[in-house]
Amino acid sequence: MIAAPGQGLALARDEDQTAAARVRIAVQGLAKRFNASGREFVAVDDVSFEVKQGEFVALLGPSGCGKSTILNMVAGLLPRSGGRILIDQDTVETGKVNPRVGYVFQRDTLFPWRTVEQNIGYGLEIAGLRKTERASRVASAVEKAGLSGFGQSFPRMLSGGMRQRVALMRTLILEPEILLMDEPFGALDTHTKLEMHKTLLEIWERERQTVLFVTHDLGEALTLASRIILLSARPGRLKEDFDVAIPRPRDPVAVRESAEFGRLYSHIWHSLGEEFRRTRAD
Amino acid sequence: MSNSRTVILFWQLAILAAVLVIWQWGFEWSKALLPRAYVPKILDPYFVAKPSLIWQSFLRLGCFSDAGGFAACIRGNDNNLWLATLVTLKNTWWGFLFGSASGIAAGLVLGRSDFLARVFGPYIVALNSIPRIALVPLVILIFGLGDLSKIATAWLVVFFVVFFNTFEGTRAVDRDQIAAARLLGASAFTVLRTVVIPSALAWVFASLLPAVSFALIGVIVGEFIGAERGLGKLIIEAEARANASEMMVAIFVMMFVGILLAIAVRSLQSYLLRWQPQFEPSA
Repeated sequence: MIAAPGQGLALARDEDQTAAARVRIAVQGLAKRFNASGREFVAVDDVSFEVKQGEFVALLGPSGCGKSTILNMVAGLLPRSGGRILIDQDTVETGKVNPRVGYVFQRDTLFPWRTVEQNIGYGLEIAGLRKTERASRVASAVEKAGLSGFGQSFPRMLSGGMRQRVALMRTLILEPEILLMDEPFGALDTHTKLEMHKTLLEIWERERQTVLFVTHDLGEALTLASRIILLSARPGRLKEDFDVAIPRPRDPVAVRESAEFGRLYSHIWHSLGEEFRRTRAD
Repeated sequence: MSNSRTVILFWQLAILAAVLVIWQWGFEWSKALLPRAYVPKILDPYFVAKPSLIWQSFLRLGCFSDAGGFAACIRGNDNNLWLATLVTLKNTWWGFLFGSASGIAAGLVLGRSDFLARVFGPYIVALNSIPRIALVPLVILIFGLGDLSKIATAWLVVFFVVFFNTFEGTRAVDRDQIAAARLLGASAFTVLRTVVIPSALAWVFASLLPAVSFALIGVIVGEFIGAERGLGKLIIEAEARANASEMMVAIFVMMFVGILLAIAVRSLQSYLLRWQPQFEPSA
Protein backbone atom coordinates (compact mmCIF):
# COMPACT_ATOMS: atom_id res chain seq x y z
CA MET A 1 0.00 0.00 0.00
CA ILE A 2 2.73 2.43 0.95
CA ALA A 3 5.05 3.24 -1.95
CA ALA A 4 8.61 2.14 -1.42
CA PRO A 5 11.23 4.89 -1.81
CA GLY A 6 12.10 5.32 -5.44
CA GLN A 7 8.86 3.84 -6.60
CA GLY A 8 7.27 7.28 -6.39
CA LEU A 9 9.61 8.46 -9.13
CA ALA A 10 7.87 6.24 -11.65
CA LEU A 11 4.90 8.04 -13.11
CA ALA A 12 1.67 6.67 -11.77
CA ARG A 13 -0.25 5.28 -14.73
CA ASP A 14 -3.43 4.70 -12.85
CA GLU A 15 -5.36 7.38 -11.06
CA ASP A 16 -6.19 5.01 -8.19
CA GLN A 17 -2.51 4.74 -7.49
CA THR A 18 -2.08 8.50 -7.00
CA ALA A 19 -3.67 8.28 -3.58
CA ALA A 20 -0.63 6.37 -2.39
CA ALA A 21 1.82 8.52 -4.36
CA ARG A 22 4.22 10.91 -2.70
CA VAL A 23 3.45 14.53 -2.01
CA ARG A 24 5.07 16.84 -4.59
CA ILE A 25 3.74 20.21 -3.46
CA ALA A 26 2.94 20.95 0.17
CA VAL A 27 1.49 24.33 1.10
CA GLN A 28 1.25 24.93 4.85
CA GLY A 29 -0.40 27.91 6.51
CA LEU A 30 0.46 30.13 3.54
CA ALA A 31 -0.25 33.85 3.90
CA LYS A 32 0.32 36.93 1.77
CA ARG A 33 -0.18 40.51 2.84
CA PHE A 34 0.30 43.52 0.59
CA ASN A 35 0.89 47.12 1.51
CA ALA A 36 -1.19 49.39 -0.65
CA SER A 37 -0.76 53.13 0.05
CA GLY A 38 0.06 52.58 3.70
CA ARG A 39 -2.87 50.23 4.26
CA GLU A 40 -2.19 46.55 4.68
CA PHE A 41 -4.55 44.08 3.14
CA VAL A 42 -4.59 40.33 3.31
CA ALA A 43 -4.61 38.57 -0.06
CA VAL A 44 -4.11 35.02 1.10
CA ASP A 45 -4.82 33.81 4.60
CA ASP A 46 -3.74 30.49 6.11
CA VAL A 47 -4.01 28.26 3.07
CA SER A 48 -2.86 24.66 3.33
CA PHE A 49 -3.11 21.87 0.78
CA GLU A 50 -1.06 19.13 -0.81
CA VAL A 51 -0.63 18.02 -4.39
CA LYS A 52 0.47 14.44 -4.92
CA GLN A 53 2.49 12.90 -7.72
CA GLY A 54 0.51 12.79 -10.97
CA GLU A 55 -2.45 14.80 -9.69
CA PHE A 56 -4.09 17.47 -11.81
CA VAL A 57 -5.32 20.02 -9.30
CA ALA A 58 -7.33 23.07 -10.25
CA LEU A 59 -7.18 26.06 -7.94
CA LEU A 60 -10.59 27.63 -8.45
CA GLY A 61 -11.96 30.84 -7.03
CA PRO A 62 -13.55 34.20 -7.80
CA SER A 63 -11.43 36.96 -9.30
CA GLY A 64 -9.10 38.61 -6.82
CA CYS A 65 -9.19 35.72 -4.36
CA GLY A 66 -5.43 35.35 -4.46
CA LYS A 67 -5.21 32.12 -6.47
CA SER A 68 -2.58 33.48 -8.85
CA THR A 69 -0.73 34.91 -5.85
CA ILE A 70 -0.62 31.43 -4.34
CA LEU A 71 0.69 29.98 -7.60
CA ASN A 72 3.38 32.67 -7.89
CA MET A 73 4.53 31.93 -4.34
CA VAL A 74 4.69 28.21 -5.19
CA ALA A 75 6.79 29.12 -8.25
CA GLY A 76 9.08 31.28 -6.10
CA LEU A 77 8.22 34.40 -8.10
CA LEU A 78 6.74 36.16 -5.11
CA PRO A 79 7.91 36.24 -1.48
CA ARG A 80 5.40 34.92 1.04
CA SER A 81 4.36 36.71 4.21
CA GLY A 82 3.85 33.58 6.27
CA GLY A 83 3.67 29.80 6.18
CA ARG A 84 5.71 27.29 4.21
CA ILE A 85 5.81 25.82 0.74
CA LEU A 86 7.64 22.58 0.10
CA ILE A 87 8.34 21.05 -3.27
CA ASP A 88 9.62 17.50 -2.90
CA GLN A 89 10.31 18.24 0.79
CA ASP A 90 12.49 21.28 -0.05
CA THR A 91 11.41 24.74 1.00
CA VAL A 92 10.75 27.03 -1.97
CA GLU A 93 13.12 29.99 -2.04
CA THR A 94 11.99 33.18 -3.71
CA GLY A 95 13.93 33.93 -6.87
CA LYS A 96 15.43 30.46 -7.07
CA VAL A 97 14.33 28.41 -10.04
CA ASN A 98 13.59 24.73 -9.63
CA PRO A 99 14.36 22.87 -12.87
CA ARG A 100 11.71 20.26 -12.10
CA VAL A 101 9.02 22.95 -12.13
CA GLY A 102 7.54 24.44 -15.30
CA TYR A 103 5.37 27.55 -15.39
CA VAL A 104 2.88 28.74 -18.00
CA PHE A 105 1.72 32.35 -17.88
CA GLN A 106 -1.70 33.74 -18.66
CA ARG A 107 -0.16 36.64 -20.58
CA ASP A 108 1.68 36.11 -23.82
CA THR A 109 5.31 35.94 -22.77
CA LEU A 110 6.75 34.53 -25.97
CA PHE A 111 9.89 36.24 -27.23
CA PRO A 112 8.63 38.10 -30.31
CA TRP A 113 12.14 38.26 -31.87
CA ARG A 114 12.42 34.47 -31.91
CA THR A 115 10.69 32.13 -34.32
CA VAL A 116 8.34 29.43 -33.08
CA GLU A 117 11.20 26.91 -33.13
CA GLN A 118 13.58 29.27 -31.37
CA ASN A 119 10.97 30.02 -28.71
CA ILE A 120 10.26 26.35 -28.06
CA GLY A 121 13.98 25.55 -28.03
CA TYR A 122 14.90 28.44 -25.71
CA GLY A 123 15.27 26.38 -22.54
CA LEU A 124 17.31 23.70 -24.32
CA GLU A 125 19.48 26.35 -25.96
CA ILE A 126 20.44 28.08 -22.74
CA ALA A 127 20.99 24.69 -21.11
CA GLY A 128 23.71 24.23 -23.74
CA LEU A 129 22.17 21.35 -25.65
CA ARG A 130 23.79 20.53 -29.00
CA LYS A 131 22.13 22.05 -32.02
CA THR A 132 21.32 18.77 -33.73
CA GLU A 133 19.75 17.20 -30.67
CA ARG A 134 17.87 20.42 -29.97
CA ALA A 135 16.51 20.52 -33.50
CA SER A 136 15.05 17.03 -33.34
CA ARG A 137 13.41 17.62 -29.95
CA VAL A 138 12.03 20.97 -31.10
CA ALA A 139 10.68 19.40 -34.29
CA SER A 140 8.77 16.75 -32.36
CA ALA A 141 7.40 19.39 -29.95
CA VAL A 142 6.25 21.53 -32.89
CA GLU A 143 4.42 18.53 -34.30
CA LYS A 144 2.93 17.54 -30.94
CA ALA A 145 1.48 21.03 -30.58
CA GLY A 146 -0.06 20.86 -34.06
CA LEU A 147 2.17 23.69 -35.31
CA SER A 148 3.75 21.87 -38.26
CA GLY A 149 4.63 24.34 -40.99
CA PHE A 150 4.84 27.26 -38.55
CA GLY A 151 8.29 26.52 -37.15
CA GLN A 152 9.92 29.46 -38.91
CA SER A 153 7.08 31.90 -38.19
CA PHE A 154 7.41 34.73 -35.72
CA PRO A 155 4.83 34.89 -32.90
CA ARG A 156 3.07 37.94 -34.34
CA MET A 157 2.06 35.86 -37.37
CA LEU A 158 0.19 33.38 -35.16
CA SER A 159 -3.27 33.40 -33.60
CA GLY A 160 -3.70 33.67 -29.83
CA GLY A 161 -4.35 29.94 -29.52
CA MET A 162 -1.26 29.02 -31.53
CA ARG A 163 0.88 31.37 -29.45
CA GLN A 164 -0.33 29.71 -26.27
CA ARG A 165 0.53 26.29 -27.77
CA VAL A 166 4.04 27.56 -28.38
CA ALA A 167 4.24 28.85 -24.79
CA LEU A 168 3.03 25.46 -23.51
CA MET A 169 5.63 23.61 -25.59
CA ARG A 170 8.39 26.00 -24.56
CA THR A 171 7.73 24.86 -20.99
CA LEU A 172 6.95 21.18 -21.67
CA ILE A 173 10.06 20.56 -23.78
CA LEU A 174 12.15 20.81 -20.61
CA GLU A 175 10.08 17.89 -19.30
CA PRO A 176 9.10 19.43 -15.96
CA GLU A 177 7.64 16.93 -13.50
CA ILE A 178 5.57 19.67 -11.91
CA LEU A 179 3.58 22.09 -14.02
CA LEU A 180 2.23 25.38 -12.65
CA MET A 181 -0.32 27.07 -14.90
CA ASP A 182 -1.78 30.52 -14.29
CA GLU A 183 -5.06 30.75 -16.23
CA PRO A 184 -3.15 29.84 -19.39
CA PHE A 185 -6.25 29.83 -21.58
CA GLY A 186 -8.00 32.77 -19.92
CA ALA A 187 -7.50 35.12 -22.86
CA LEU A 188 -8.74 32.70 -25.55
CA ASP A 189 -12.18 32.46 -27.15
CA THR A 190 -14.41 29.51 -26.25
CA HIS A 191 -13.66 27.42 -29.32
CA THR A 192 -9.88 27.87 -29.11
CA LYS A 193 -10.08 27.17 -25.40
CA LEU A 194 -11.76 23.81 -26.01
CA GLU A 195 -9.06 22.89 -28.54
CA MET A 196 -6.37 23.80 -26.03
CA HIS A 197 -8.14 21.62 -23.44
CA LYS A 198 -8.03 18.74 -25.90
CA THR A 199 -4.30 19.23 -26.50
CA LEU A 200 -3.52 19.56 -22.80
CA LEU A 201 -5.62 16.50 -21.90
CA GLU A 202 -3.88 14.39 -24.54
CA ILE A 203 -0.46 15.42 -23.28
CA TRP A 204 -1.31 15.06 -19.62
CA GLU A 205 -3.12 11.74 -19.95
CA ARG A 206 0.02 10.40 -21.65
CA GLU A 207 2.69 11.97 -19.44
CA ARG A 208 0.92 12.56 -16.12
CA GLN A 209 2.82 15.53 -14.87
CA THR A 210 1.85 16.91 -11.48
CA VAL A 211 -0.24 19.97 -12.31
CA LEU A 212 -1.44 22.94 -10.30
CA PHE A 213 -3.78 24.88 -12.57
CA VAL A 214 -5.25 28.25 -11.59
CA THR A 215 -8.59 29.20 -13.13
CA HIS A 216 -11.83 31.03 -12.43
CA ASP A 217 -13.65 28.97 -15.07
CA LEU A 218 -15.60 26.15 -13.43
CA GLY A 219 -16.17 24.26 -16.70
CA GLU A 220 -12.46 24.34 -17.43
CA ALA A 221 -11.60 23.07 -13.96
CA LEU A 222 -14.07 20.17 -14.27
CA THR A 223 -12.89 19.28 -17.78
CA LEU A 224 -9.22 19.07 -16.90
CA ALA A 225 -8.69 18.43 -13.23
CA SER A 226 -8.76 15.32 -11.12
CA ARG A 227 -9.20 17.47 -8.03
CA ILE A 228 -10.58 20.97 -7.46
CA ILE A 229 -9.56 23.20 -4.59
CA LEU A 230 -12.13 25.93 -4.11
CA LEU A 231 -10.97 29.20 -2.57
CA SER A 232 -13.10 31.78 -0.81
CA ALA A 233 -13.34 35.42 -1.85
CA ARG A 234 -10.63 37.74 -0.55
CA PRO A 235 -8.81 37.06 1.61
CA GLY A 236 -8.26 33.72 -0.11
CA ARG A 237 -8.96 30.83 2.23
CA LEU A 238 -9.53 27.18 1.53
CA LYS A 239 -13.24 26.57 1.16
CA GLU A 240 -13.76 23.11 -0.26
CA ASP A 241 -11.82 20.28 -1.83
CA PHE A 242 -13.47 17.98 -4.43
CA ASP A 243 -12.36 14.90 -6.32
CA VAL A 244 -13.48 14.96 -9.94
CA ALA A 245 -14.28 11.33 -10.64
CA ILE A 246 -14.96 11.70 -14.37
CA PRO A 247 -13.33 8.80 -16.21
CA ARG A 248 -10.41 9.33 -18.58
CA PRO A 249 -9.53 9.75 -21.37
CA ARG A 250 -11.79 12.77 -21.38
CA ASP A 251 -13.08 14.69 -24.33
CA PRO A 252 -13.59 18.40 -23.60
CA VAL A 253 -17.01 18.42 -25.28
CA ALA A 254 -18.33 14.97 -24.35
CA VAL A 255 -17.25 15.41 -20.72
CA ARG A 256 -19.97 18.02 -20.28
CA GLU A 257 -22.62 15.37 -20.94
CA SER A 258 -21.56 13.17 -18.02
CA ALA A 259 -23.69 12.98 -14.87
CA GLU A 260 -20.69 13.61 -12.63
CA PHE A 261 -19.89 16.84 -14.49
CA GLY A 262 -23.47 18.08 -14.02
CA ARG A 263 -23.61 17.12 -10.36
CA LEU A 264 -20.30 18.78 -9.48
CA TYR A 265 -21.04 21.80 -11.67
CA SER A 266 -24.25 22.69 -9.84
CA HIS A 267 -22.75 21.99 -6.43
CA ILE A 268 -19.62 24.09 -6.98
CA TRP A 269 -21.60 26.74 -8.82
CA HIS A 270 -23.71 27.17 -5.72
CA SER A 271 -20.64 27.36 -3.53
CA LEU A 272 -18.91 29.83 -5.87
CA GLY A 273 -22.07 31.92 -5.95
CA GLU A 274 -21.84 32.47 -2.21
CA GLU A 275 -18.31 33.77 -2.69
CA PHE A 276 -19.32 36.13 -5.48
CA ARG A 277 -22.09 37.50 -3.29
CA ARG A 278 -19.57 37.99 -0.47
CA THR A 279 -17.25 39.87 -2.83
CA ARG A 280 -20.06 42.21 -3.73
CA ALA A 281 -21.14 42.65 -0.12
CA ASP A 282 -17.69 43.97 0.80
CA MET B 1 -4.11 55.64 -61.21
CA SER B 2 -2.60 59.00 -60.30
CA ASN B 3 -0.41 57.41 -57.63
CA SER B 4 0.81 54.45 -59.67
CA ARG B 5 4.55 54.00 -59.60
CA THR B 6 5.24 55.26 -63.10
CA VAL B 7 3.27 58.46 -62.50
CA ILE B 8 5.17 59.11 -59.28
CA LEU B 9 8.49 58.42 -61.00
CA PHE B 10 7.51 60.74 -63.85
CA TRP B 11 6.84 63.63 -61.48
CA GLN B 12 10.01 62.97 -59.51
CA LEU B 13 12.11 63.11 -62.70
CA ALA B 14 10.19 66.15 -63.93
CA ILE B 15 10.94 68.06 -60.73
CA LEU B 16 14.63 67.08 -60.91
CA ALA B 17 14.84 68.23 -64.54
CA ALA B 18 13.08 71.52 -63.76
CA VAL B 19 15.41 72.26 -60.84
CA LEU B 20 18.50 71.50 -62.93
CA VAL B 21 17.28 73.60 -65.87
CA ILE B 22 16.41 76.63 -63.70
CA TRP B 23 19.70 76.28 -61.81
CA GLN B 24 21.69 76.09 -65.03
CA TRP B 25 20.01 78.76 -67.15
CA GLY B 26 17.55 80.53 -64.85
CA PHE B 27 19.85 83.44 -63.98
CA GLU B 28 20.76 84.24 -67.61
CA TRP B 29 17.14 83.92 -68.73
CA SER B 30 15.83 86.18 -66.00
CA LYS B 31 18.57 88.73 -66.68
CA ALA B 32 17.54 88.77 -70.36
CA LEU B 33 13.80 88.88 -69.74
CA LEU B 34 13.19 90.71 -66.45
CA PRO B 35 13.92 94.26 -65.27
CA ARG B 36 17.14 94.41 -63.26
CA ALA B 37 15.37 94.80 -59.92
CA TYR B 38 13.43 91.56 -60.37
CA VAL B 39 16.34 89.29 -61.23
CA PRO B 40 16.50 86.69 -58.42
CA LYS B 41 19.95 87.03 -56.77
CA ILE B 42 19.66 83.54 -55.33
CA LEU B 43 20.17 82.12 -58.84
CA ASP B 44 23.47 83.98 -59.31
CA PRO B 45 26.12 81.35 -60.12
CA TYR B 46 28.56 83.36 -57.98
CA PHE B 47 26.60 82.18 -54.94
CA VAL B 48 25.10 78.84 -55.94
CA ALA B 49 27.29 77.88 -58.92
CA LYS B 50 25.45 75.95 -61.61
CA PRO B 51 25.25 72.28 -62.62
CA SER B 52 27.74 72.52 -65.51
CA LEU B 53 30.31 74.33 -63.33
CA ILE B 54 29.77 71.88 -60.48
CA TRP B 55 30.35 69.00 -62.90
CA GLN B 56 33.61 70.56 -64.08
CA SER B 57 34.76 71.16 -60.49
CA PHE B 58 33.86 67.57 -59.72
CA LEU B 59 36.03 66.32 -62.59
CA ARG B 60 38.88 68.56 -61.48
CA LEU B 61 38.71 67.81 -57.75
CA GLY B 62 38.15 64.14 -58.49
CA CYS B 63 41.31 64.09 -60.65
CA PHE B 64 39.41 63.02 -63.79
CA SER B 65 40.42 66.03 -65.92
CA ASP B 66 44.03 66.41 -64.78
CA ALA B 67 46.62 66.62 -67.57
CA GLY B 68 49.11 64.56 -65.56
CA GLY B 69 46.74 61.63 -65.27
CA PHE B 70 44.55 60.31 -62.44
CA ALA B 71 47.24 58.60 -60.33
CA ALA B 72 49.70 61.50 -60.36
CA CYS B 73 46.92 63.94 -59.45
CA ILE B 74 45.81 61.77 -56.52
CA ARG B 75 49.39 61.61 -55.23
CA GLY B 76 49.98 65.32 -55.78
CA ASN B 77 47.00 66.55 -53.73
CA ASP B 78 46.73 65.62 -50.08
CA ASN B 79 43.11 66.65 -49.83
CA ASN B 80 41.76 65.48 -53.17
CA LEU B 81 38.07 64.64 -53.30
CA TRP B 82 38.50 60.90 -52.84
CA LEU B 83 40.91 61.11 -49.96
CA ALA B 84 38.77 63.80 -48.31
CA THR B 85 35.66 61.62 -48.66
CA LEU B 86 37.49 58.60 -47.33
CA VAL B 87 38.80 60.52 -44.32
CA THR B 88 35.39 61.99 -43.48
CA LEU B 89 33.70 58.62 -43.94
CA LYS B 90 36.30 56.86 -41.81
CA ASN B 91 36.02 59.38 -38.97
CA THR B 92 32.22 59.27 -39.16
CA TRP B 93 32.31 55.48 -38.97
CA TRP B 94 34.61 55.33 -35.93
CA GLY B 95 32.75 58.12 -34.15
CA PHE B 96 29.45 56.37 -34.84
CA LEU B 97 30.83 53.01 -33.76
CA PHE B 98 32.40 54.22 -30.50
CA GLY B 99 29.49 56.55 -29.77
CA SER B 100 26.80 53.93 -30.26
CA ALA B 101 28.78 51.13 -28.57
CA SER B 102 29.42 53.23 -25.45
CA GLY B 103 25.87 54.63 -25.57
CA ILE B 104 24.40 51.12 -25.71
CA ALA B 105 26.68 49.86 -22.93
CA ALA B 106 25.94 52.81 -20.63
CA GLY B 107 22.21 52.61 -21.43
CA LEU B 108 22.10 48.90 -20.60
CA VAL B 109 24.00 49.29 -17.33
CA LEU B 110 21.98 52.25 -16.08
CA GLY B 111 18.75 50.80 -17.43
CA ARG B 112 19.24 47.62 -15.42
CA SER B 113 20.37 49.30 -12.21
CA ASP B 114 18.02 51.65 -10.38
CA PHE B 115 20.83 52.65 -8.06
CA LEU B 116 23.23 53.76 -10.80
CA ALA B 117 20.42 55.39 -12.75
CA ARG B 118 19.56 57.55 -9.73
CA VAL B 119 23.21 58.42 -8.97
CA PHE B 120 24.12 59.39 -12.53
CA GLY B 121 20.73 60.76 -13.59
CA PRO B 122 21.36 64.48 -12.82
CA TYR B 123 24.85 64.42 -14.35
CA ILE B 124 23.57 62.97 -17.58
CA VAL B 125 20.76 65.48 -17.79
CA ALA B 126 23.23 68.32 -17.16
CA LEU B 127 25.76 67.10 -19.74
CA ASN B 128 23.00 66.51 -22.26
CA SER B 129 21.92 70.14 -21.89
CA ILE B 130 25.21 71.38 -23.37
CA PRO B 131 24.88 72.00 -27.10
CA ARG B 132 27.45 69.52 -28.36
CA ILE B 133 28.77 71.84 -31.05
CA ALA B 134 29.89 74.27 -28.34
CA LEU B 135 32.38 71.66 -27.21
CA VAL B 136 34.08 71.25 -30.58
CA PRO B 137 36.80 73.92 -30.07
CA LEU B 138 37.61 72.33 -26.71
CA VAL B 139 37.79 68.88 -28.31
CA ILE B 140 40.19 70.21 -30.95
CA LEU B 141 42.30 71.86 -28.26
CA ILE B 142 42.55 68.53 -26.47
CA PHE B 143 42.90 66.12 -29.39
CA GLY B 144 44.58 68.32 -31.96
CA LEU B 145 43.86 68.98 -35.62
CA GLY B 146 44.07 65.33 -36.65
CA ASP B 147 41.42 62.64 -37.07
CA LEU B 148 41.12 61.95 -33.35
CA SER B 149 39.35 65.24 -32.62
CA LYS B 150 36.78 64.50 -35.38
CA ILE B 151 36.12 61.03 -34.01
CA ALA B 152 35.74 62.50 -30.53
CA THR B 153 33.27 65.11 -31.79
CA ALA B 154 31.16 62.49 -33.55
CA TRP B 155 31.34 60.35 -30.41
CA LEU B 156 30.02 63.22 -28.27
CA VAL B 157 27.07 63.75 -30.57
CA VAL B 158 26.19 60.08 -31.01
CA PHE B 159 26.68 58.89 -27.43
CA PHE B 160 23.78 60.73 -25.79
CA VAL B 161 21.25 59.96 -28.51
CA VAL B 162 21.97 56.24 -28.36
CA PHE B 163 22.35 56.24 -24.58
CA PHE B 164 18.90 57.72 -23.91
CA ASN B 165 17.15 55.36 -26.30
CA THR B 166 18.91 52.30 -24.96
CA PHE B 167 18.14 53.39 -21.41
CA GLU B 168 14.44 53.79 -22.17
CA GLY B 169 14.40 50.55 -24.17
CA THR B 170 15.98 48.64 -21.31
CA ARG B 171 13.42 50.02 -18.89
CA ALA B 172 10.56 49.06 -21.18
CA VAL B 173 11.43 45.34 -21.24
CA ASP B 174 8.42 43.18 -20.35
CA ARG B 175 8.89 41.94 -16.78
CA ASP B 176 6.90 38.79 -17.48
CA GLN B 177 9.24 37.92 -20.36
CA ILE B 178 12.14 38.21 -17.94
CA ALA B 179 10.29 36.03 -15.42
CA ALA B 180 9.54 33.50 -18.18
CA ALA B 181 13.21 33.34 -19.16
CA ARG B 182 14.24 32.89 -15.51
CA LEU B 183 11.72 30.07 -15.08
CA LEU B 184 13.11 28.38 -18.19
CA GLY B 185 16.51 28.32 -16.50
CA ALA B 186 18.18 31.55 -17.65
CA SER B 187 20.83 33.15 -15.44
CA ALA B 188 20.91 36.92 -14.91
CA PHE B 189 23.50 37.28 -17.66
CA THR B 190 21.54 35.04 -20.04
CA VAL B 191 18.44 37.15 -19.39
CA LEU B 192 20.43 40.23 -20.35
CA ARG B 193 21.79 38.59 -23.50
CA THR B 194 18.65 36.81 -24.69
CA VAL B 195 15.80 39.00 -23.45
CA VAL B 196 16.86 42.52 -22.45
CA ILE B 197 19.17 43.24 -25.38
CA PRO B 198 16.95 41.87 -28.17
CA SER B 199 13.96 43.59 -26.63
CA ALA B 200 15.75 46.94 -26.32
CA LEU B 201 17.14 46.62 -29.84
CA ALA B 202 14.09 48.23 -31.43
CA TRP B 203 14.68 51.31 -29.28
CA VAL B 204 18.39 51.28 -29.97
CA PHE B 205 17.85 51.14 -33.71
CA ALA B 206 15.32 53.94 -33.58
CA SER B 207 18.28 56.07 -32.46
CA LEU B 208 20.94 54.68 -34.79
CA LEU B 209 19.46 56.19 -37.92
CA PRO B 210 19.60 59.76 -36.61
CA ALA B 211 22.88 58.90 -34.86
CA VAL B 212 24.66 58.12 -38.11
CA SER B 213 23.58 61.49 -39.53
CA PHE B 214 24.67 63.19 -36.31
CA ALA B 215 28.07 61.51 -36.56
CA LEU B 216 28.52 62.95 -40.04
CA ILE B 217 27.47 66.40 -38.81
CA GLY B 218 29.91 66.13 -35.90
CA VAL B 219 32.81 65.24 -38.16
CA ILE B 220 32.06 68.02 -40.68
CA VAL B 221 31.76 70.65 -37.94
CA GLY B 222 35.03 69.42 -36.49
CA GLU B 223 36.62 69.78 -39.91
CA PHE B 224 35.21 73.30 -40.28
CA ILE B 225 36.76 74.44 -37.05
CA GLY B 226 40.16 72.89 -37.43
CA ALA B 227 41.38 70.09 -39.64
CA GLU B 228 44.10 69.03 -42.02
CA ARG B 229 41.86 67.13 -44.42
CA GLY B 230 38.31 65.94 -45.03
CA LEU B 231 35.21 67.16 -46.87
CA GLY B 232 34.62 69.91 -44.31
CA LYS B 233 38.13 71.19 -44.86
CA LEU B 234 37.48 71.13 -48.63
CA ILE B 235 34.43 73.38 -48.11
CA ILE B 236 36.35 75.82 -45.92
CA GLU B 237 39.16 76.05 -48.51
CA ALA B 238 36.66 76.65 -51.32
CA GLU B 239 34.94 79.30 -49.22
CA ALA B 240 38.25 81.11 -48.79
CA ARG B 241 38.50 81.29 -52.58
CA ALA B 242 34.79 82.14 -52.92
CA ASN B 243 34.45 79.07 -55.12
CA ALA B 244 30.78 78.03 -54.88
CA SER B 245 31.02 75.17 -57.34
CA GLU B 246 33.71 73.38 -55.31
CA MET B 247 31.61 73.77 -52.18
CA MET B 248 28.68 72.30 -54.05
CA VAL B 249 30.79 69.30 -55.06
CA ALA B 250 31.63 68.62 -51.42
CA ILE B 251 27.99 69.10 -50.40
CA PHE B 252 26.77 66.62 -53.01
CA VAL B 253 29.37 64.07 -52.00
CA MET B 254 28.23 64.47 -48.38
CA MET B 255 24.68 63.89 -49.50
CA PHE B 256 25.66 60.61 -51.13
CA VAL B 257 27.73 59.59 -48.11
CA GLY B 258 24.74 60.35 -45.88
CA ILE B 259 22.41 58.32 -48.07
CA LEU B 260 24.79 55.35 -48.16
CA LEU B 261 25.23 55.37 -44.38
CA ALA B 262 21.47 55.56 -43.85
CA ILE B 263 20.90 52.66 -46.25
CA ALA B 264 23.54 50.59 -44.45
CA VAL B 265 21.97 51.18 -41.02
CA ARG B 266 18.46 50.62 -42.37
CA SER B 267 19.24 47.27 -43.95
CA LEU B 268 20.95 46.09 -40.77
CA GLN B 269 17.91 47.27 -38.86
CA SER B 270 15.37 45.53 -41.06
CA TYR B 271 17.34 42.29 -40.78
CA LEU B 272 17.74 42.38 -37.00
CA LEU B 273 14.18 43.60 -36.39
CA ARG B 274 12.49 41.34 -38.95
CA TRP B 275 10.25 40.00 -36.19
CA GLN B 276 8.53 43.38 -35.94
CA PRO B 277 5.40 44.14 -37.98
CA GLN B 278 6.69 47.16 -39.93
CA PHE B 279 9.56 45.14 -41.38
CA GLU B 280 7.39 42.33 -42.67
CA PRO B 281 8.50 41.48 -46.19
CA SER B 282 5.79 42.77 -48.48
CA ALA B 283 3.84 40.04 -50.26
